This record gives sequence, structure tokens and C-alpha cells, in this order.
Amino acid sequence: MWQKLKDGIEIRIGLTDLIENRLRQYRVPSDTNIFYTLGIVTMAAYVVQAITGYFLLMYYVPHSEHAFRSVQDIMTIIPFGWFVRMVHMVAANLMVALLFIHFISIFFMGSYKKPREITWLAGGLLLLVTLAFCLSGYLLPWSQRSYWATTIVSNLPTAFPVIGDALANLLRGGDSVTGITLTRFFSLHVGFLPPVFLSIVGLHIFLVWRIGLSVPPLSQSAEEESEWTEFRHATYSRSYPFYPNFLLKEVSMIMLFLAVTFFIMSFMPTLFLPEAATTPADPLNTPADIKPEWYFLAPYQMLKMIPNKFLGISLQIIAIIVFLFWPFFDTRAERNIMKRPLIFGIFLVLLALWFLLTYWGRYSA
Amino acid sequence: MKRRSFLGVLGTLFGVTAFGSVAYPLLRYLGPPQAEIDAGKQSFKKADVGDAREIVFQNTPAIIINRPGKGYIALSRVCTHLGCLIDYDRKSKKLICPCHAGFFNLEGRVESGPPPKALTTFPLRVEGEDIIIG
Repeated sequence: MWQKLKDGIEIRIGLTDLIENRLRQYRVPSDTNIFYTLGIVTMAAYVVQAITGYFLLMYYVPHSEHAFRSVQDIMTIIPFGWFVRMVHMVAANLMVALLFIHFISIFFMGSYKKPREITWLAGGLLLLVTLAFCLSGYLLPWSQRSYWATTIVSNLPTAFPVIGDALANLLRGGDSVTGITLTRFFSLHVGFLPPVFLSIVGLHIFLVWRIGLSVPPLSQSAEEESEWTEFRHATYSRSYPFYPNFLLKEVSMIMLFLAVTFFIMSFMPTLFLPEAATTPADPLNTPADIKPEWYFLAPYQMLKMIPNKFLGISLQIIAIIVFLFWPFFDTRAERNIMKRPLIFGIFLVLLALWFLLTYWGRYSA
Repeated sequence: MKRRSFLGVLGTLFGVTAFGSVAYPLLRYLGPPQAEIDAGKQSFKKADVGDAREIVFQNTPAIIINRPGKGYIALSRVCTHLGCLIDYDRKSKKLICPCHAGFFNLEGRVESGPPPKALTTFPLRVEGEDIIIG
């Protein structure tokens, strides 16, 4: 019976050929480390988000008078509703952490250099789309934190002269955050961002597959170091098959991600749920200790410190542009960051600054 | 004009028309609906000297403060930095934004922190036991 089914599939889609030629013969450098799996682990996190998001949609009501209640009902009344929501929330935070680590490792290994500039750019856009997912997502529970964090972010465009107010009003659908903003962010979260995300992730994966994985800079051979004057698939002096070797490594890391998610849910359930996230939105009362999510703490603290709003926001936009187009600025072929002390030093300082601002933003008054 | 150039011009014209015909309605669709605002005057109860009363005036959260020796003032509570609502601190006689630590004095002027300008002031007058704003 099983064999018959297998033969039937084989005749129709050529599974053996697919596995042999597309997966087994697809080579991966044998020096790859666990950081090479972060892309697929992040992708797995997105899949978790899509599945849990779909189930949350069954009970969530995107209306300012019902949103908070419906989320509370999911947490307390719906059987295992708390489980679905907690997975969605914890995995969202881990997903952002994974993206950050992915970018840091790509930077350290110089994997963004020619011919992988567009892969980096697509990845950068994915990070921005992910942050837009987070931002639009955390208004949905209509809690105090949701409401006031969105108030702050939706006021950012007002820093720009002439068009600033119009832009902010367009984003919110009014002068302040209201039920219109909630439905607007809801449609963004479930209707607009997913297809945008899928298009960019498709391009990103296509490019990774088409060009091939980069070799870690320390184990690069002369051939691998040669300049890219025309398109070719990456070749490796030492390699192993994508399937099953590399895929197994990836699956192990996905399991680690799931283990961490469930560990946090079980033993640190309030890690991403401060008090302001469990009290209903009150448009007439800004809570005293309102803080954004951890990944927005550094820009939040920066805005607090820079006295000029336009300057503060402009600096952040410039930083985003430099980050997105970094491979086009840094065109030197040398991939070993240890041989580039200036870039290495600047990057370490920026990283330390980011941690410092995050810490400061978390604990400052 | 050659046929190819003519078709190019025609294509561009149709393209621009099609784009404009979609973009304009879309922008209008996304534009905020006009909120109903009561443009008239509103009356509120008085506050004790040194005290403040939080109100909503024309859909805007506002505050009436009875300043010692200076009388009443009505200010918008919306911080001019990023829109959080300021609180009145009776002890320090300051208005404080909890989001980015902006401090305003009781005239609504910025004392410290990132807010770029003073709080909006609403004209008021005292009539008997009431304060009339607007």
C-alpha cells in the first residue's frame, strides 16, 4: 500500500530526482556554524506566528470596545487560548531577537559582500517589516501599553515640517489614537503586511539558494576569495550535502527555538507582559512607567535624550538607511573583520551603545 | 511623430492617468474622517488654589489649574513632543510628561526635556462658580 502510494507520487512529481538533484547535490560549505541556521530558524518563527495568529483571529474582536475583553477571554475562558496567545507573543519577541543575532553574525562574517548585497537589503527590509508587524500587533490587545506606545510612534512623523501632521493623521486616521487606528493597524497586521513579507522573504530565500551560502571568512580558499565578475553559483573546496546534513542542523536549531519558547512560557510567563500590557487602554491617562518593547528601548531612550525632535528622528532614519545600504558603502573585498580593526571597533562601539541605551531606556525614570 | 514614439507618449499618458485615478481616491480613503467637534463654549467646575482639574475640551484632554497668586489657566494635556498626556505634580508645581520626561511650568512653557514647544493654552473666564472655556 505504502509502496504503491510512493510509486504513484514518484511517477507524478519525481520526488527521488528532486531530493537527489535539488537537495542532496546542493552543497553547503562544511565549515558552516550554527549561525548559518538562524535564517531558517527565523523563518520557522514566522510560520509559528502565522499559525497562532490564524487561531487568535477566531476569537479576537478588532473593535476598541471589545478588543481588550476579547484578548482577556482568549487568555482566561477559551480552552488553551492562553497557550495560543502566549506562543504568539513569546515567539514574536524571540523572532526579533533571532533577526538581530542573524544580522550581527552576517556582519561579523562579512557575508553581505559582493555578490550578496541584495540578499542583505532584502533581509534589512524584512527586519523593518517585522518591526511593523510588532508595532501593529501590539496595539491590538488595546491595553495601556498598546495605546500609549502607538500614540508615541504615530506622533513620530510630526517631527517633519509641512507634511508631518498630515502623515501622522493618515497613519492614525485622526488626531489621536482611536478605534479607527485599531482597525487600521489590524488590517495592516493581518492583511497588508503578510503578502509584503512573503514577497520579500521569497526574494531573500531565492537569492540565498541561487548564489549559495557564503564560506566563513577564516576558512575561505583562494578560489572562493576570487572576485565575482560574472554570475556563478558559489563553489566550495570542502562541502557537504544540504540534505540530510545541513537540514538536520537546521531542524535541531528549530527545536532549540521551540524549547526556549516553551521554557519562557512555562517559567517566565510575564517576561513580555508588564502591568501596562494587562490593563485596558485609557485615552485620558498616560501611565507613569510606560515603556516600549525591549527592541524599541534604544530608539526610545535616544529620543528622550536628544532635545530636538526633528534631529532625533532624522538621526534614526539616517541610521536605518545606512544599515539597509551598508553593503553598497562597504565595498572592500576583505571579509575577515579581524583584518579591519576600524570597522570592527566602530561596530563594537555601536553594539555597546545599543545595549547601553536599551538598559538605560528600561531603567530610566 | 513616429508611431513608436506616439505609442510611448500615449502609454505614459494612460499610465499617469490610471495611477492618479487610483492614488487620489486611495489617499482620500485613508484620510482621517472629520471628527465631530463641539466648537462652542464649555463650562467646568472650579478647582481649589494649587489644585488642578482634568477635563476634555473639544475632544482634547486638557487641564485647568488654579495657580497660587496667578489665577486659572487652561492647558492642553497633550505633550508637544510625542502626544502623551502630561500630569500635574502638585508638589513641584510642574506639568510632567511620563513618556520622555518633558517638564512644563504652570504657564505651559517648556522647562526641560525634549518637547519642542509650549502646551496649547485655551482662553477661559471665571463666571461665579464656573469656568467657561472657549
